[in-house]
Amino acid sequence: AMSFLKRFPPPAEGVRHQQPDTEAVLAGRTLGAGTLYIAESRLSWLENSGVGFSLDYPTISLHAVSRDLNAYPWEHLYVMVNAKFEEEESKEAPMAEGEEDEDSDDDVEPIAEFRFVPSDKSALEAMFSAMCECQALHPDPDDEDSDNDYEGEEYDVEAHELEQGDIPTFYTYEEGLSHLTAEGQATLERLEGMLAQSVSSQYNMAGVRTEDSIREFEDGMEVDVAPVVAGQFEDAEVDH
Amino acid sequence: MEVSHSVKERTIAENSLVILLQGLHGHITTVDLRDESTATGRVTNVDAFMNVRLAEVTFTDRQGTVSHLDELFVTGRNVRYVHIPDEVDIRATIERQLQAIHRVRYFGGRDKGRKEFPRAKHK
Repeated sequence: AMSFLKRFPPPAEGVRHQQPDTEAVLAGRTLGAGTLYIAESRLSWLENSGVGFSLDYPTISLHAVSRDLNAYPWEHLYVMVNAKFEEEESKEAPMAEGEEDEDSDDDVEPIAEFRFVPSDKSALEAMFSAMCECQALHPDPDDEDSDNDYEGEEYDVEAHELEQGDIPTFYTYEEGLSHLTAEGQATLERLEGMLAQSVSSQYNMAGVRTEDSIREFEDGMEVDVAPVVAGQFEDAEVDH
Repeated sequence: MEVSHSVKERTIAENSLVILLQGLHGHITTVDLRDESTATGRVTNVDAFMNVRLAEVTFTDRQGTVSHLDELFVTGRNVRYVHIPDEVDIRATIERQLQAIHRVRYFGGRDKGRKEFPRAKHK
């Protein structure tokens, strides 16, 4: 018997399709007749004697319906898995579809090929579709594209372009003022003070501090307490 | 191809080139897999995770053995390349798919119908 076969109860929940009287074949060797359970959590096959195995969808690379009798003499559901499964101890007759020893190349990922041959060939479509649905429930967690996180608020591109977005891009003065915290209002006053000053002093650089505007900054940055002398930046090349 | 029923999938598609693949519905395409096998068939579905479903497939495994499969589903993770057929106008395809998504999104008019995006808190 295959060493990876275990006894376990058939899945009870989320079974999208169940196909009795289905033979399971691994790398050309039959595992017997049993029932295939296509459940949302995993794919399971249980021989009539009660032992079987399960496959997790993230390990399944692809699945297909094969009716090409030249390739394999019975119509079946083909499942390619990214994992190693122990075959019987005797490793004779390496078949073209087998894996393991033939690929001494360590870079090649292990591949196991399962075939599920239902006695009712007309069920293959339903089996295939059920697997597609279940597979789609298990997207690749290792997906490098981290931008796929759309669980939060979504950015309505078109709405923004048409300025109909729910999130205002700017406020009118009165509206905006009401949104400011006390500290925000203080900051606003300070900035406005600076602007007013700079109109007269001709210098309008960010960060210019006058006596009126020295305050402690919340972020703990060290503040230069000495007031800036007007004319300090005379030699600056900034054009306003 | 029919636009996905899932808001999340529509958003993913809209923001990635998967949207181009979704526009290949009905075209004969070759998909190169990660393990160097290839599958040529008619695209019947591509979802936001780049899972590809093909029909009437000629499958060449990594050893070069050719077989025919009625239907094939490859997980996105195992897709290396999707060949865009020469007859496909890429830009037009993307625009058409985007329009399809927007039609679904704004069904019933701009301020009617189902709201796709949660509203920001109002003042």
